[in-house]
Amino acid sequence: MTLDWGVVWQHRDALVRATGTTILLTIATMVIALPCGIIVAMLRLYAWKPIRALATAYVELFRNLPLILVVFWAFYVLPILTGLGLSPLATGLTALALNVTAYNAETFRAGINSIRRGQLDAAMALGMSRAQALRRIILPQASRRILPVLASTWVSLFKDTSLVSVMAVTELAYVAMQIRAQTFRVLEMLTAMAAIYWLLGYPQAKLVDWIQRRFAVTE
Amino acid sequence: MDFDFTVITSHARFLGSGIVVTLLLSILSGLSSLAVGFVVALARLYGPRGLKPLVVLYIDSMRAIPVLVVLVWTFFALPIVTGITMPPFWAALIGLTVHLAAYVAEIVRSGVESVRPGQTRAAMALGMSRAQAVRRIVMPQALVRMLPAFGSLLSITIKDTAIASVIAVGELMRQSETLAGQSFQPIEVFSFAMLVYFLMLFPVTRGVDALYRRVAHLGRS
Repeated sequence: MTLDWGVVWQHRDALVRATGTTILLTIATMVIALPCGIIVAMLRLYAWKPIRALATAYVELFRNLPLILVVFWAFYVLPILTGLGLSPLATGLTALALNVTAYNAETFRAGINSIRRGQLDAAMALGMSRAQALRRIILPQASRRILPVLASTWVSLFKDTSLVSVMAVTELAYVAMQIRAQTFRVLEMLTAMAAIYWLLGYPQAKLVDWIQRRFAVTE
Repeated sequence: MDFDFTVITSHARFLGSGIVVTLLLSILSGLSSLAVGFVVALARLYGPRGLKPLVVLYIDSMRAIPVLVVLVWTFFALPIVTGITMPPFWAALIGLTVHLAAYVAEIVRSGVESVRPGQTRAAMALGMSRAQAVRRIVMPQALVRMLPAFGSLLSITIKDTAIASVIAVGELMRQSETLAGQSFQPIEVFSFAMLVYFLMLFPVTRGVDALYRRVAHLGRS
């Protein structure tokens, strides 16, 4: 077995660009999925009943589907349903956002529900409106409990971006496997790919642990 | 837009074999990761001091690397290192086990640590050995508390088997992909796959919740 690690260095530009795409995809998905998650959670908690059922159905559906299937579905079915010709990157972003929004919505709902009902009653008894009570009393307390969950969703999302490689989005996994196919340096490229994910993901996992210790709720 | 779902019924066997492989891979990798994860967690909690940093490194690395990368590496790169070529199913089983065992180990550790140390001390004051205290006092309470986390891990396992399609394991995702490509009817095929996955996963998550509500009182202390 002769190994040639030079191949990794030769393709450094492509790998760095692909890593950038992976990071960008993670950030863009979260930027979309945070507000959308709040909206869906609010719809689930406070909206008119049929809307509430619809929001629940959305969350349950996407939490119970493998993401890779959602990616394929978005790639093949979205263009037919909507008539739009989205780029692979936009399609991948859509699939990831649909998935993460469902998880975030569940996180926000659980966080808000974890605040005892008496607090809302007390706030309203003091003359606050429902919206005021939510904004000033419930959300500040709920956010402390939500943050650690969001942090671990972030790390999962960072890893899950690798799944959009199945439809040729030029992120890290796809690019590394392309180079592998062109150069036949299988072991070197796949190990380099794993190492780059590890270098980026390890500190994030440690940060999540820290956030979880820092914001642990003791009752 | 016309839909023709006969593509599903006329390829029922093909898709059915995919469902069987998905279930088989889920069950086997669930069981093996449970076994490996328990051993890893016990090594971390009670093992020799030198072993602990290695175990922590393994667990945190698996939390940092995507499953897709683990599977692809196991299938394509591992044979180069070991010289043994594996069929895709076995590579998927090994890759999923290595990945999921880290999560099992974390669940076991936090379950065990949730039982107050005073209980172990009390058991040892009553003359039990450490092993006896773990087996009779700590584990029975910890296991009940681990149940909900194991439930969500089971649904994660089923979802992760779909990623094995990338290394050509003929499970439901792979078969759907193949059929969608051959029949030019992706909407029908992928919608069917969605339905099947949902029907597999929804009862798992709900069933575990219901089971936990029935046994939760056993874990109180």
